[in-house]
Amino acid sequence: MLIYAINRILQAIPVVFILSVLVFGFVHALPGDVIDTLTSVETDEDPEVRAALEEEFGLNKPVYVQYFIWIGKALQGDFGKSLVTRRPVSIELMERIPATIYLAVVGIGLSILIAVPLGTLAAVRRNSATDYTAQVTSLAGISIPEFWFAILCVLLFALHLGWLPSSGYASPFEDPQKSIWYLILPALAVGFRQAAFTTRLTRSSMLDEISKEYVDTARSLGLSERKVIYKYTLRNALIPTITISGLQLANLLGGTVVLESIFAWPGIGLAIFQSIQLRDFPVIQAGVLVLGIMVVIINLLVDLLYRVLNPRVGLG
Amino acid sequence: MSEHDRKNPLTQTRREFLATTAAAAGAAAAASVPGAAVAAPKRGGTLRFATRVDGRGLDPHRNIIYYVSNPLAATTQGLLDLNTNMEIVPGIGEEWDISDDLMTYTFKIKKGVEFHNGRDVDAEAIKWNYERIMDPKTSHSFTRASLKEVKEITAVDKQTLRIQLKAPSGVFLANVVYYPCNLIAPDSADQADTHPIGCGPFKFVSWKRYAKTEMVRFENYFETDAAGNRLPYLDAIEGYPKKEDKVRLTALRTGEVDLIENMAYSDATNFKKTQMDKYNTWDIPQVGAGYLAVQAKKGPFAMSAADGKLMRQALAHAIDREAIHHAIFNGLSEKLTGFYSTSSPWHMPGIRNIKEFDPEKSKAILRKLNAMNTPIAVVARDTYSYMHQTGELVYSMLQEAGFKPTNEVFDNPVLRKKYKKADYGIDSTANSYRFEPDGWYSRNVLSSAPSTKLRTGYMNEQVDKLIVEARSTRDFKKRKELYTEVESLVNDDCALIYTHCIPLTSAATKNLKGYQPAFAGPFNINGGGVRTAYFA
Repeated sequence: MLIYAINRILQAIPVVFILSVLVFGFVHALPGDVIDTLTSVETDEDPEVRAALEEEFGLNKPVYVQYFIWIGKALQGDFGKSLVTRRPVSIELMERIPATIYLAVVGIGLSILIAVPLGTLAAVRRNSATDYTAQVTSLAGISIPEFWFAILCVLLFALHLGWLPSSGYASPFEDPQKSIWYLILPALAVGFRQAAFTTRLTRSSMLDEISKEYVDTARSLGLSERKVIYKYTLRNALIPTITISGLQLANLLGGTVVLESIFAWPGIGLAIFQSIQLRDFPVIQAGVLVLGIMVVIINLLVDLLYRVLNPRVGLG
Repeated sequence: MSEHDRKNPLTQTRREFLATTAAAAGAAAAASVPGAAVAAPKRGGTLRFATRVDGRGLDPHRNIIYYVSNPLAATTQGLLDLNTNMEIVPGIGEEWDISDDLMTYTFKIKKGVEFHNGRDVDAEAIKWNYERIMDPKTSHSFTRASLKEVKEITAVDKQTLRIQLKAPSGVFLANVVYYPCNLIAPDSADQADTHPIGCGPFKFVSWKRYAKTEMVRFENYFETDAAGNRLPYLDAIEGYPKKEDKVRLTALRTGEVDLIENMAYSDATNFKKTQMDKYNTWDIPQVGAGYLAVQAKKGPFAMSAADGKLMRQALAHAIDREAIHHAIFNGLSEKLTGFYSTSSPWHMPGIRNIKEFDPEKSKAILRKLNAMNTPIAVVARDTYSYMHQTGELVYSMLQEAGFKPTNEVFDNPVLRKKYKKADYGIDSTANSYRFEPDGWYSRNVLSSAPSTKLRTGYMNEQVDKLIVEARSTRDFKKRKELYTEVESLVNDDCALIYTHCIPLTSAATKNLKGYQPAFAGPFNINGGGVRTAYFA
């Protein structure tokens, strides 16, 4: 297992390297001049000022040189300064990434808590009222746009009932209670949609597993139905669920720009989006690279989880 | 206040200014005599303020701090101040003298004014600030442009600052108010990007970009109320940038914030009808002006083209301001024929050469020129919805009038590239903060202005002459006449097609008292805004 993990980490290194090249290349291929975003249209385009800004941010060097300088410093944990705020990029990101991870992890956790029991029950009680309820609910979850569901949640729980705040964020490390208060609605909005997908996936996986011979064998050996379902069948059926949940988590870490806008959630998605609008290269590059690394780590963890769930899965 | 009641402070003599100020102070004092039915302001409380935008950075010299919609504006101040009518009033500079040749401005600095770190705000400190602003390495180009006329700054003594200009200017005072030339403590330059030390009514505490700004009352702030109590009354301000209009409004209605600015036009009318028992609202009649900038460097509207002017006239007749007024602004705006609406002391009722909406006339011109289906690219910036929504409407209007338009929305860097290449026909845009008209005409209409050269290429020698003359004219009435002539010529040339003013509605919970933003939106102002706000 350890060797497998080390192998996977080593395999991830070229992935991250290629990612860094692609990110850097794409960012520098964006149309528009970064210096234009730092100057006003109402003032003279003083070539000296432009040259000084290019010098300050290293933009006067060939792109490949800029890349090696950037990656060299990034490997030492220095992502440079934001062209806009002039604060270290690490500060810019560290203000946003925890909020994104927090929302993504809780959102996915919530979706698994809803989807796995519901999907399992729907499969076990196939064609029952429970099954139909689960299918209709999950179909609604997939069909309803995430932003619309979020707005409905705000209108109902914040505006009409007054139970929860409509928007904002508090760090769980600074004020845990307030933090949970602010988290509930965004997590619900994220979790509901993800749960819809996962419920349907869990149900179909469970139906596949239930129809397999080893289940009949287990039943014929006199094992209790609970043991057959929850100990053997569900364990195997969860592998695709884990895969999809891992991908969903990775996707959420990339940011949910619309939800972040609706809930004024200071996540990385909105930050990168706004940085793209301002052509704040260092923030975009570092943000996307860090997110890419997180996706690689999540995929690695998902692979390792396969092994935990089903020791027969090979670690080739 | 009627137009005639207003007196432009730039052209007031100090004696006139002091006379009107004394009268106003007397009225305020009379209103606050014991027994009057006015509750005494209570000190304390934290104002939670939701705004549309957040700062780009903290250093006020390097970043433009939008004084309508950026909580950080409460931490800073300029040499002179603005009041609720956007008039320039004494602040840190308590008196000023302008030489007859309009080349030398001498300011008397108020004693006892401090930066947030306890350092005195004196002539040397202000000189240091202005020199830092004039240095391209440490300032934003827009801020720097405000001081480009400065030849020499002299700290005559601790309380006297003299500024020598390169050319006569009757409008220089507008450049030393807190927008855009803010003051920071000279010994704090190295922390300006992380923890700025200003001299405004509130001290900076922390900033999490797009999330939260925290400020606390500056106990040694110099301004007092009529009864001599130190301002501000509030203990603290928390700024919450919430970009979406509806998100801010919901936050107000759920009690998460106390004050919001920039209510959506679609919400404002209904909100005022249904929620006035719980909230107060403030109508800001004109933050700025919306207009169509016609690209006249090349193409069908070019100044140099034989039929350029006729083509621009065809364009102007195609624009239905009434439709924009209702469809985009829900009837809350005001149609414009010049930059200033009726709410401004600079409103000019005598503007001529207004091109009325008449698509048939547009078609007739196009037919006459054999120019039906002339392709026109309508562009707009993605930042403000009213810009690209107006662009969409204009697209339909041009189609109806016989042009063959396209409509595209771009982010700022791409649009700048298009400006440089003159790769567009009309830009649906807007401009704000121009309480001093020279800030508009010299920067956006004058042919030698960088923005004019970059964007429109508009050129009219007579217009240029009038703008330059207005800049060195002190008499308010005379200046207004000059600008009226400028606007009439611009309308005749159809170089800029003003469409509507940009209004704004703020709202707060009923228990927020004493809050009055300036008529163009700023909230850190003399005798109003967050300085006099308190919770009942």
